[in-house]
Amino acid sequence: MHSDYLAMQQAVVDGDVETARLLARSLVESPSDLLPAIEQGFAAGIRRVGELWEEGEYFLPELVQGAEAMKAAMEVIQPALRSVDRNRQSKGRIVIGTVEGDLHDIGKSLVAVLLAANGFEVHDLGSSVPIETFLTKAAEVDADIIAASALLTTTMEVQTRLAAAVKERFSARRCHLMLGGAPTSPAWAERLGAHHAENAMQAVVVAESLLR
Amino acid sequence: MSAGSGSFRERMLAGAPIVLDGGLGTALMAKGLPRGMPPEAWNLERGDVVTAVHRAYVDAGSEAVHANTFGANPIRLAAFGLERECEKINRVAVGLARAAMPRFVVGDVGPTGEYLPPVGKGDLARWREAFARQATALADAGADALHIETMTDLREARTALEVLLGEVPGIPVLVSMTFERKKRGCFTIMGDPLVGSLRTLVSDGAAAVGANCSITSLEMSTLMDEALRAVEAPLVAQPNAGTPEVGSDGALQYRQSPDDFAADMAALAERGVRLVGGCCGTDDRFIAALCGRLRAGVGA
Repeated sequence: MHSDYLAMQQAVVDGDVETARLLARSLVESPSDLLPAIEQGFAAGIRRVGELWEEGEYFLPELVQGAEAMKAAMEVIQPALRSVDRNRQSKGRIVIGTVEGDLHDIGKSLVAVLLAANGFEVHDLGSSVPIETFLTKAAEVDADIIAASALLTTTMEVQTRLAAAVKERFSARRCHLMLGGAPTSPAWAERLGAHHAENAMQAVVVAESLLR
Repeated sequence: MSAGSGSFRERMLAGAPIVLDGGLGTALMAKGLPRGMPPEAWNLERGDVVTAVHRAYVDAGSEAVHANTFGANPIRLAAFGLERECEKINRVAVGLARAAMPRFVVGDVGPTGEYLPPVGKGDLARWREAFARQATALADAGADALHIETMTDLREARTALEVLLGEVPGIPVLVSMTFERKKRGCFTIMGDPLVGSLRTLVSDGAAAVGANCSITSLEMSTLMDEALRAVEAPLVAQPNAGTPEVGSDGALQYRQSPDDFAADMAALAERGVRLVGGCCGTDDRFIAALCGRLRAGVGA
């Protein structure tokens, strides 16, 4: 593998924001390499961070630092990506946020970064997002998927109301609902007529399968 | 030291295990606490309901109940515009718990809800100020003990403990953290290990240490067995009633039965855990079942 790709991976795994940014800058100087570099470099790094989290080797600080490094790299790369390949088709449009009353931002942001790195057009509304804001934004950008996270047992039920609102406002085929967050489960998402993502990596797989 | 605090400390060390209460926030939700409203707001608006929940626990056999103050630090209250009511909310909460006539009232001190960098933008100096305000109000209202709960960052737990011990000396302070099992053992989400964290808190001056929230009574059993082997201090355990699910009516449901919970927790008390109770999803039926088991002997 390209040695720079390994360095990019490592910068994300180490959560080294400065190195990730520097590698991204040198990368945009040779634009034809952008896509393989994202995929085999930075995105591979964040996937590795996700694996280390699942394996119990990494904890929240390492996870957040890895996402920060990934985000720093993507901020440099994204403008270049758009100017190089205006015809590059996005895999789909996703509106994402944490539900109202819930201020947890970390897991949701990681999902957003990973979806963007994997070719989706992502609109991140942040945390404590009112149901109406999800719906308005989804209509505005003609979203394929609304992704909503809830980290508290007390805010899980907001996802119930969001599911009902999405069903009412959009036909199921036009706008899927993807749910996640520590207290949520596949059985529960299914009961709400939605799709469940256990973690950030799985969110990419689920989104890809929904829009295939 | 007040007579109450002295006797709580003594009770922790000898005699039958202390049965605490179960979930308070989830119990108030079951009583109609509106969505998006912090449970602590009901101290001022629906004190009768709060006391009724405490009374159900006392009737079920709780020797000590937690005042409804888990989120009553000024940083959390500020999110609901209630920061200025901090002292009043805490003071009233102790009175509402006392009105249910438990033997002991424990002031509940939850986390700020913020994280330190790089995860968040939390600030230790601001946290110290927030914990000091809440602890002073709880102590002035006559709490017999204070319980720092649901901590996921050892730095925040130690900061809260240091502030409480300094601001309200003489009142015993319990500290519970929230752990989950990983491949290499039990850790908080921030990576703080079970035994190392509890030992640190004991050497910092905690009167009792342990774990609450997130995990089931079965997971709590194996976690506490590790702690029992390695920690020289009274232990406190308050698991959830399983993992929450949304029922067909849209309401949250915890699937574990009171009897399963009671069997695990009574066995833990038998093995030496000094304070046993429940967290989210457990209610007075769980405490009644636990007390029944303890009265009858675990093997019954």
